[in-house]
Amino acid sequence: MSQRRSDQLPAPAPPGGPAAAAEPLTAPPEHHDAGGGRSPVLSFVKSNAAIPVLILLLLPLANLVEGRSFGAYNARIVTLIGYNIILAVSLQLINGVSGQFSLGHAGFMAVGAYLAAYPAKTYARGFVDPATTLLFYVALAVVVVIVGAVLYGVLRAAALLRTFHRSLPGIALIVLIVWIAADVSKAADLEVIPTWCVWSRGFAGLESLFAGVIERGGAAAASVSSHLSAAAAKPVCFIVLLLGAGACAAATGFVVGLPALRLRGDYLAIATLGMAEIIRILIQNSRPLGGALGLTGIPKYTTFPWLYGAVIVTVVCVWRVAYSARGRAIMAVREDEIAASAVGINTTRQKVTAFVLGAFFAGVAGALFALNEYSITPTRFTLDRSIEVVVMVTLGGLGSISGAILAAVVLTILPEVLRPIAEYRMIIYSLLLIVMMLARPQGLLGTRELWPRRFGLAFKRKPQVTKQESFA
Amino acid sequence: MTSPHTLAADRVSRRFGGLCAVSDFSLSVSTGELVGLIGPNGAGKTTAFNVITGVYAPSSGHVLLDGRRIDSLPPASICRAGVARTFQNIRLFQNLTVLDNVTVGFSRSAELGLTKTILRAPRFFREHRHAELEAMDLLGTLNLADKADTLARNLPYGDQRRLEIARALATHPKFLLLDEPAAGMNPQEKSVLMDLIRFIRDRFSLGVLLIEHDMKLVMTICQRLTVLDHGETIAVGPPAEIQCNPKVVEAYLGEPLHA
Repeated sequence: MSQRRSDQLPAPAPPGGPAAAAEPLTAPPEHHDAGGGRSPVLSFVKSNAAIPVLILLLLPLANLVEGRSFGAYNARIVTLIGYNIILAVSLQLINGVSGQFSLGHAGFMAVGAYLAAYPAKTYARGFVDPATTLLFYVALAVVVVIVGAVLYGVLRAAALLRTFHRSLPGIALIVLIVWIAADVSKAADLEVIPTWCVWSRGFAGLESLFAGVIERGGAAAASVSSHLSAAAAKPVCFIVLLLGAGACAAATGFVVGLPALRLRGDYLAIATLGMAEIIRILIQNSRPLGGALGLTGIPKYTTFPWLYGAVIVTVVCVWRVAYSARGRAIMAVREDEIAASAVGINTTRQKVTAFVLGAFFAGVAGALFALNEYSITPTRFTLDRSIEVVVMVTLGGLGSISGAILAAVVLTILPEVLRPIAEYRMIIYSLLLIVMMLARPQGLLGTRELWPRRFGLAFKRKPQVTKQESFA
Repeated sequence: MTSPHTLAADRVSRRFGGLCAVSDFSLSVSTGELVGLIGPNGAGKTTAFNVITGVYAPSSGHVLLDGRRIDSLPPASICRAGVARTFQNIRLFQNLTVLDNVTVGFSRSAELGLTKTILRAPRFFREHRHAELEAMDLLGTLNLADKADTLARNLPYGDQRRLEIARALATHPKFLLLDEPAAGMNPQEKSVLMDLIRFIRDRFSLGVLLIEHDMKLVMTICQRLTVLDHGETIAVGPPAEIQCNPKVVEAYLGEPLHA
């Protein structure tokens, strides 16, 4: 029902309010050109035209930042600011816009970092082989889908069995989960499950499935890549790595978010914290991913234009989601979940959307990080890293995207500025945070933004009431 | 005229552990009707609302909308099916503007795909524009248009109540459930509210179910009343009949003294 019901009905004169009855109904006006706006197509072009221009502007800037006179130290700080902006803005979508307090951002970053570094090192051969890299993600997705389908089947079967008998399926479920976990751990060379658990014939099947997909498709994929010119292969491969890493982090976010987002406040924070730690410890115990020593010899690709290109894309995406009808629904869930569901919002769906999207960009940030650092270790993705990002989001103002950017810049530069006072540095830094929170508990910007929220919308003018009739 | 709709509760019970908050509750509202649900504090009125709108699943019994069962649906789906409500303690989206509070009700526009939202596709602008204009019209109808850009938490109390009704109307309901809309209002505000309820019922062709403690309001505007006490339905009928029902008098004032 797209039209107001009142437009289809002759509204009877209200018996109660004489003043209301006094005002006659006017004919329904044409909706689409009321409010003095432009055509939607023109608005679409106008709002998107600026983005490629902005990204192109990064190229001359890159010469400046990567030049000798700017200094390696300063360039390093600029790079750190880049990662932090992506992380803070994506966490703002989760913590600020959707109001779900997450402490797991480093976990998603780790997923992105490792699942970009591993294929980059193993399959991309110096970034000339995008198709095989893509195949890696496809193989990974195939394995994940199969494991997911098996788990789903087991859970469904258990749910069906529960109607017959209460305790037996529970036991069967635990046995099955241990069985699968043992197999997965054996296949992935994880050592989190004790060896006595690995009694089954092993899900070496999963590993060989993965290897099989890569082998079958590998030759074909490599030949596809060889058709690309060397100049095109590198950026294409990089984009595949970034999107693949982001997708893996988003998938992790989905799997974690679906059950965890039932929790609220502190409980959700603890659940996400636990998730991030599990991810880190899984990586630490996995042999292909280098264990505690980490992955080394990762090819370097992240450059200033790529990093800040990603920053622009992240900010634009998060901004547009936050200030759209969907963002409004997400914010409504933050404000009052019961009221939100009472106006027809699927609250779970909105929360998961924000969570998955935030995880995606955290994964992208992780990939950019890994492909810049030559080596990564699990210690780079500890709880401290998550808290650092949470501090940025809170300091900038929960709900303010420009505030998150501002805080990411300030909190990256501040410790560096304080470097001359050496041992007192972190004391001053912490004191500043405490004073800041006492003086402005709502953060630097509160929920405000540095530029208008209607930025880029077709109608900057507030829509006017087009109907004359009203209740007295 | 669209065909009239019916919302019915069919012998609904809701237990919390050993407490039977509502038992054997039956009620039916049709388009254009104004039905009141009254009873002393703790009688189970709000629980009955919560069961109808899906916040709680009934322990037994059915809720039917046009003969179709809606009691197994989540609250959001029940709202989309056409049953909107307001809350006893106002539940607005405090930090959103008045306009946004109402626009959220047009949840259809939140269903636009994520890619279309991010790319700001032409459809995004069309839907956005449409939702905002419709919301402004609704605000105009309820006399809130000049406050469209105010944050909901900064509105005066009476306007907050009105905004909550506007938000419920934005979901294109067939039935509107009002939980103590007159709570905290002075007599003059109450009489305006009475006019408003009748006005929106006719203007949006709704069936209205109303919980209220103010007897004058209920007796004036409701066509039928259901009286609850300790979860039991103790009386059903037109206001005049209810007023002299001895059971109702007893529930409100206690047993008569026999000296």
